[in-house]
Amino acid sequence: MTADLSLLTAREIRDGIEARDFTATEMVEASLSRVSTVEGDVHAFNQITPGLAFAAAARIDAMADAGEPLPPLAGVPTAFKDNMNLRGTNTTCSSRILQDYESVYDCTAVRRMLAAGVLPVGKCNMDEFAFGSSTENSAFGPTHNPWDLDRVPGGSSGGSAAAVSAGMAVLSLGSDTGGSIRQPGALTGTVAMKPTYGRVSRFGIVAFASSLDQIGPFSKTVDECGLALNAICGKDMLDATSVDLPDEDFTSGMREGVQGLRIGVVRDLLELEGCDPRVRDAVRATVEGLEHMGALVGEVDLPSCQYGMPAYYIIGPAEASSNLARFDGIRYGHRVPDAEDVMDLYLRSRAEGFGPESIRRIMLGTYALSAGYYDAYYGQAQKVRTLIIRDFERAFADYDVLVTPTTPTTAFKLGEKAADPVSMYLSDVFTIPVNLAGIPAVSVPCASIDGLPVGIQLMGAHFNESTLLRVGYAIESMSDFDPVPPLVKTGV
Amino acid sequence: MSKDRLPEVLEKWEAVIGLEIHTELTTLNTKMFCGCPVAFGGEPNTRVCPVCLGLPGALPVPNARAIESTILAGLALECDISSWSQFHRKNYFYPDMPKDYQISQYDRPFCVGGHVDVEMDGAESVRIGITRIHLEEDTGKMVHVGGSEGRIAGATHSLVDFNRAGTALMELVSEPDIRTPEQARRFASQLRLVFLTLGVSDCNMEEGSMRVDANVSVRPHGQAEFGAKAEVKNMNSFKALHDALSYEIVRQADELEAGGTVAQETRHWDAGKKRTSSLRSKEFAHDYRYFPEPDMVPFTFDDDFIEGLRASLPELPDARRARYARAYALPGNDASVLSSDLGLGAYFEEAVEAAGGPEMGKAVANWVLGDFSAHLNAEALLPADSSVTPRKLARLVQLVGDGTISGKQAKAVFAEMVATGEKPRQIIERLGMQQVSDSGAIEAVVDRVLAANPEEVEGYRAGKTGLIGFFVGAVMREMGGQGNPAMVNEVLKARLGG
Repeated sequence: MTADLSLLTAREIRDGIEARDFTATEMVEASLSRVSTVEGDVHAFNQITPGLAFAAAARIDAMADAGEPLPPLAGVPTAFKDNMNLRGTNTTCSSRILQDYESVYDCTAVRRMLAAGVLPVGKCNMDEFAFGSSTENSAFGPTHNPWDLDRVPGGSSGGSAAAVSAGMAVLSLGSDTGGSIRQPGALTGTVAMKPTYGRVSRFGIVAFASSLDQIGPFSKTVDECGLALNAICGKDMLDATSVDLPDEDFTSGMREGVQGLRIGVVRDLLELEGCDPRVRDAVRATVEGLEHMGALVGEVDLPSCQYGMPAYYIIGPAEASSNLARFDGIRYGHRVPDAEDVMDLYLRSRAEGFGPESIRRIMLGTYALSAGYYDAYYGQAQKVRTLIIRDFERAFADYDVLVTPTTPTTAFKLGEKAADPVSMYLSDVFTIPVNLAGIPAVSVPCASIDGLPVGIQLMGAHFNESTLLRVGYAIESMSDFDPVPPLVKTGV
Repeated sequence: MSKDRLPEVLEKWEAVIGLEIHTELTTLNTKMFCGCPVAFGGEPNTRVCPVCLGLPGALPVPNARAIESTILAGLALECDISSWSQFHRKNYFYPDMPKDYQISQYDRPFCVGGHVDVEMDGAESVRIGITRIHLEEDTGKMVHVGGSEGRIAGATHSLVDFNRAGTALMELVSEPDIRTPEQARRFASQLRLVFLTLGVSDCNMEEGSMRVDANVSVRPHGQAEFGAKAEVKNMNSFKALHDALSYEIVRQADELEAGGTVAQETRHWDAGKKRTSSLRSKEFAHDYRYFPEPDMVPFTFDDDFIEGLRASLPELPDARRARYARAYALPGNDASVLSSDLGLGAYFEEAVEAAGGPEMGKAVANWVLGDFSAHLNAEALLPADSSVTPRKLARLVQLVGDGTISGKQAKAVFAEMVATGEKPRQIIERLGMQQVSDSGAIEAVVDRVLAANPEEVEGYRAGKTGLIGFFVGAVMREMGGQGNPAMVNEVLKARLGG
């Protein structure tokens, strides 16, 4: 009988393999078995990689057979967003322009996960080049939310979120530029962390906006989030923006409770129009719970954050327009076969290769950086960014952790916002300021409304991930939220 | 020919020239933002990696030594070093640019200000301002196939070699202070010498590790506004720079005198046809959309760091020339030539040391700049590669100085040293060339010669003193060329005067 990955944690898997209760190979089989039952409906993956997974499993099993100590994430089926390079896979970014692009090297964060013993089960669907909040902007079709297949899983890391939520993987990595980990985390009931900018190497992840991008994990529990952080954090000589800090066990202080921690509810964000009152209430109830557990709760305003959205939609596309220039059909990627000259080759290869949202963002960014507009747009947006950083600095003088909902609503329906980019952009209104400030934040499931998960966003000062996990763990312990969606409970 | 008309044109028109000099930091072990080795040529696309190929997800990591080299160059040229600096992205599409943006610098270059005093043979030196020195990455190389001379016009397809892509490239921009092609040539050549002295590049213009582009315009003397300028490219020697500027100045003056205008454009120097021509490739009005490179954090430099680099500066060419003139009492031109060739200068200093110290400087310089340089030229050797080591040359100079051999004999010995690699002493012994400085022996020969030529002796004593040459020649012949010429002269004069 095949194991149910929905019911196993990373720690249980590693210990179970070490104790010879089961094998790593059986974990791959469990993943593939779940894939065979739900992937047709969910479409979390662009590519399933049983060959890589079984090979990794064989190495773990050999270690277990030899009685060697196993690495901390040994045998844990893990999925990677399809913007992370991994040799032996294509890295498509869910774009036609990279449809056949084979990775020739490994992303540092992926390599570190593999070194920690995980089994790479596949590459996950995403909004093309991470442009989106629903995973509908994939050239290969949308991902469906395991909680309600008519709804989106969020995005852009929707495939990574859905893979964990549906029990096809136990852990996954996503990337977060304006909320692309936390927002799908909230919509799929998973724990989803964007670490401090510089905590995790960006080497090997196809860049969207270099000053905002950060890799982080999805998991069903807070403990597993900490274990994944343990694996991926740390200085990388290949990323000049990665930060050199002493190693840290992010799970060690997790169970210390919230007694005396100062928690600030961000009042002006919570009161934003467009936030579902039921979501607001769920977050308030969760904060009350923390207060009961001894946290000191107050309210704080972050007045500059209301400008975060427009600033983000200047800075993000500006950097993206430059980062995506390299997809030009010259050396790799989609190329029209019958170009008249080099300009024709550029124009048509890119027009055919990029989807509509990518083209929209490239045009936005190109415009914002153009001579005569730079100061009014990019320059101004950078000033807003500085003001937002100051807002947070002031708030963290008084509070250890700041709280908002992760998203204004629960998961919306496929197609519901696809025609209206601005309403889609608004689903990241709570998450974007975090990226602009470079601080860490985690989304933890705290309730469900009409059978759909609600996430609470916990934000901390730079490099204070451990405090976020401590609060997250407290929320997880008091919540009766069950992270396993009905889809996989009923076995379909 | 246009070149001949330059002086005449410059009487009516003032040329305004600014140079942009790109220098590859070829002495670094690795490229600007990755660990690939730096070298010229090689099998195409063999010195590449995900970073310099711009593969998806790869990130640049700055080369600290490249930054230090650039700051060193700035310090050597009297620049101010920015207290903080950063890279920018220069966005444009071209197939030799794998990321379709170049990591370069924009409004925060490492070095600003600075100047070079260009020596102008006898005339007063000319100060040329330096606007900035910044660092960027080099592009790959395109090879166009099927057209003429590898140019893109008429080509059927193009190949790209990324071996050079990502090599650290230091760009120096001068002020438009240059007024003649000769000033431009000397300015560029003095910069090259500074970079060679600092050891930051091999500055090989033919291989493109030093590339000089020029902005040129002309205006009537006395006019304050600049004329429309052309940017001239593809000058891969100092001579080409001089010739191209001469041609371009005359061309622009002719154009204006004929009532035309000078187009603001890029022009290509054709060294074969000796003319510049407009690059008729489709020109786009470039908007490079510069913005700060987000893959790197800004750099800050404190005074300790900068002063540490300043303290590590080697002796610069100007200081070396002054020292040669002072310490070795060399005439200005000798000091200039020896200080402008690093290899020859080092050879010279070593030889002076071996010959016994600074008082031997002039004698050694004569040899180094004379027979030794001729030998290097004839055999296309670098000073360090000659079989005539500084120590052997020093010995030869000493043997002349102490009268063992004559200067004339020494030339023959030098030729033998070049031919056989033997030491001067061995050659002198082998050929029996020892100079006779024994006064008794010389007196005996002199007496014989005078006795054999009574008429000439009479003539000399009657006032035909020019006959001294006849007597010296006769004595030297008699002595097989081995008589000490100074002593022969002295003895002859004593005897004849008596």
